[in-house]
Amino acid sequence: MDVKTVKTDTTILELRGIQKSYDRGTGKPLRVLEDVNLSIKSNEFVCLIGPSGCGKSTIMRIFAGLIAPTKGQVFYHGKPQEGLLDNVAIVFQAFALYPWLTVEANVENVLIAKGLDRAEVKERTNHAIQMVGLEGFEEAYPRELSGGMKQRVGMARALSVDPEILFMDEPFSSVDALTAEGLRAEVLDIWDDRGRNPSSILMVSHDIPEVAFMADRIVVLSANPGRIRTIVDNPLPRPRDTRSPEFMRLVDQLHDIITSTELPDIQVSTVAPSVESDIVEPLPNAQYADMLGLLEYVDAQGGACDLFQVVAHTHVPFEKVLTTVKGLEMLELVETPKRSVELTAMGRAFVQIGMDERKIIWQKQLLELKLFRVVKDLLELREGELSREELIQEIAGRLPMEDPELTFETIVAWGRFGELFAYHKHRGVLTFE
Amino acid sequence: MLNQIFESVWGQANALFFPFRRRRYMDVVVILAGLAILFGLVTLGRQWTGVHRPVVEINLSPWALPKYTFFSMMRGLAAYCISLAFTLVYAFWAAKDARAEKLLIPILDILQSIPVLGFMPGLVLALVGLFPHSNLGLELAAVIMIFTGQAWNMTFSLYHSFKSVPQEFQEAGTTYGFTWWQRLKWIELPFGTTGLVWNSMMSMAGGWFFLMITEAFQLGDQDFRLPGLGSYMSVAVEKGRMGPMLYAVLAMVVMIVFLDQILWRPVVVLAQRFRIEDTSQGDVPRSWLLRLLRRSRLIRLWEARRSHRKRSPLTAETRKAAPAQRARKVQAGYRWLANLALTALAALIVWGAVSLVLFLAKVSRHEWGTLVQAGGLTLSRVLISTVIGTLWTVPAGLAIGLSDRLSRIFQPIVQVAASFPAPMLFPVVILALAHFGIGLNYGCIALMLLGTQWYILFNVIAGAMAIPGDLKEAATSFHLTPWQRLTQLYLPASFPYLVTGWVTAAGGAWNTSIVAEYYNLNGATLSTFGLGATISKAAYDRNLTLLAASCLLMSAIVVAFNRLVWKRCYKLAFTRYSLDK
Repeated sequence: MDVKTVKTDTTILELRGIQKSYDRGTGKPLRVLEDVNLSIKSNEFVCLIGPSGCGKSTIMRIFAGLIAPTKGQVFYHGKPQEGLLDNVAIVFQAFALYPWLTVEANVENVLIAKGLDRAEVKERTNHAIQMVGLEGFEEAYPRELSGGMKQRVGMARALSVDPEILFMDEPFSSVDALTAEGLRAEVLDIWDDRGRNPSSILMVSHDIPEVAFMADRIVVLSANPGRIRTIVDNPLPRPRDTRSPEFMRLVDQLHDIITSTELPDIQVSTVAPSVESDIVEPLPNAQYADMLGLLEYVDAQGGACDLFQVVAHTHVPFEKVLTTVKGLEMLELVETPKRSVELTAMGRAFVQIGMDERKIIWQKQLLELKLFRVVKDLLELREGELSREELIQEIAGRLPMEDPELTFETIVAWGRFGELFAYHKHRGVLTFE
Repeated sequence: MLNQIFESVWGQANALFFPFRRRRYMDVVVILAGLAILFGLVTLGRQWTGVHRPVVEINLSPWALPKYTFFSMMRGLAAYCISLAFTLVYAFWAAKDARAEKLLIPILDILQSIPVLGFMPGLVLALVGLFPHSNLGLELAAVIMIFTGQAWNMTFSLYHSFKSVPQEFQEAGTTYGFTWWQRLKWIELPFGTTGLVWNSMMSMAGGWFFLMITEAFQLGDQDFRLPGLGSYMSVAVEKGRMGPMLYAVLAMVVMIVFLDQILWRPVVVLAQRFRIEDTSQGDVPRSWLLRLLRRSRLIRLWEARRSHRKRSPLTAETRKAAPAQRARKVQAGYRWLANLALTALAALIVWGAVSLVLFLAKVSRHEWGTLVQAGGLTLSRVLISTVIGTLWTVPAGLAIGLSDRLSRIFQPIVQVAASFPAPMLFPVVILALAHFGIGLNYGCIALMLLGTQWYILFNVIAGAMAIPGDLKEAATSFHLTPWQRLTQLYLPASFPYLVTGWVTAAGGAWNTSIVAEYYNLNGATLSTFGLGATISKAAYDRNLTLLAASCLLMSAIVVAFNRLVWKRCYKLAFTRYSLDK
């Protein structure tokens, strides 16, 4: 069972000095990855985890060769690699099965594309289908199958090409929880067979217990731009017991790392700076409805609770919870000492009062943020009518690492809720409320 | 006991009839159908390659109609095959080659707006000149004319499908190293099939529109007539014979229904496989023909052989693994080919533009002035007909679409009405208008309406049917007045469909103007001032410069109107009035 713990340290794939930016047509390119160095060794299960916008899917696609990096180099067995890897296989988040082909044809086609002869196509297809337990479903169309069964087809298709490394892009996030449990164990069983490919697996995930259960190494990323925050080795023996104290400790440790990455406990400076600094805080893309909901939730828990308790109880992905907490923290409605969320005095008052008073507080807190003051000044300068394009240009200039359109949406949403701005979508102009 | 005996006897009797009911007679039908097709093709071949006759005499007896209808149908089908081939190549090229796309899509936009008659004289003269001794040239000209009424819609549809293939589908194709051909076969074509099938049905209907002109084309004193349903009708109209006119209309309806049942229904059912939505839909299209055919043993034998062949060993050509280097070499080859094609196309455009300008230099400034006036007049007719069409079809369409019972009854009727070529009904309407003392000046608005209102009606019905149930329930539960429901729910919710209806209707109205403003009836020519009449008359008088100038003007007006008005309506429809978000 645990043959794979005997590590032979040959590096299969390596990223060196990878940087990736996209030209968004707003002048400055948007940088999504910054100086990423990472390698995948043989017989290894690596997981990428991090908040939304940290570029974990992009890293996976650069490894696979689907996306070319802006800077840096990919090495395959020590040699520079351009373009797609041979025998590359990806299990996609939304399955990417062709709905007009049967299960069998979906698998067969990738083998035919490789130019194999008929007998081998047949044999490999049968083997792959049998490996994931899809016998009897060969003639079914994907639309007849449940999410879990569809992902099995995705896995069969990937395994059929006999990949040295299997890439998985959040493979279990479109599958219901119980099915995901089963699939995880099956993936591990398939990988465990040492004599066979896939030798290694690179999986993108947003579920902390999942990576703790599956990975040998856990790569924690931070966002804007995406970079590697830390790499956590997971030496727990397999098969892993999710209720063992060691396992729980690892999950805890991961929680701590991610919280400290995303919600650093920086002391607010006690002395107000005499000159207003020109630095604008990036705005998390949090929905105000989620923010209100989280406040109510924390209040119901007695005004404070563990961040990951929220994730566990509400089944909201942790990226989203983190974004929401970040938003609340910016408005000084909560504090986040270590990994717990606590209502501030203002937050406590906010939960108690009616909607009208809430909006007054919200508006006041928005204007504490430099970004909103910038928008307000600009709006006054333009005599109460600011075009979307101009504001997006302004945001792109001030926050080069952020997606300006997403930030714009957040400004509009928060500003609307605070009755600060109104946005007229058809004319594309922002005005005062 | 009695029951048991009865059961066993009944069962045996049933078993006795079983082969007959299941297979044999369907086999006979399949064989007969095959023979009929063969016979038809032989007749067709004889007609096409037959010695070119100076003037074709059309027999107005109803017994001659089946043959004529068959000829017309085969021309439509041949044109459809060309349209399909054109669509595949053109849409693929435009979607894959970013540089060519910038040229190809505007060209398509312009081609779409050029009235069919603009292509006709040059094409007929050239092709007849090419095959002076047989009918082939003229037949080809007619087929290509029908093609110009069919192809553009289909091409746009397939191009848009190619451009909107979901990213993960593409990525999976890249990951597993599909070649361009495998990508086309397994991803892009299946993805585009649903849209292509619906547009094919629409296009086939659009192709019949000018049938009366294409089959009975007159250029100056030359008569390029072909035996067919269109020429039958036009001769009947010329001679003012009411009986044959009626037969021709009937034959047209039969042909439309026949094609729908024999060709399109089965195709729609087969295309179900290529639906994108994951959920199974409630209302599954059915085809009686397909159900019957599946009973035939011959067909099943053929299907089994086909799937067997599919499973036979791959050819040596595909078995060769495609190493990256070879793939790159092939890629370079395609690149080179695409560059060559693009250069050829650009050269063709430059040459065409230069010769058009030289050609049009002969048109005097005064003539241009008259043309612009005529264009303005026809534009106002088109708009008035669209407005009138909207005024009555919106309430009617909403009433039909909001009622399950009415929509079940009316939707198929409206579909047939929309695919019926309106010019065939014009004689009746013109006579009726003349009876009331209305000339063609205002009368042709009525003729336009006759052709185009169905598109609006059809779309409004579809829009009303697509209004989500919860919105209707909300309106009911909050006691909205009928007026509130109309202005706040029904109209906004069906607006995107209404815009599609308008665009199709206005396009149809421009085409109709060519026929409606200038009509030969009972030996006399009825006409009124307008751009459509100018085009018709220029073709009739063999005044090719004026023809080119007026066609150019018409397509300029249509393109400008599309850009300035319809595009904005679409934008509004897909942002403000979209039910998706």
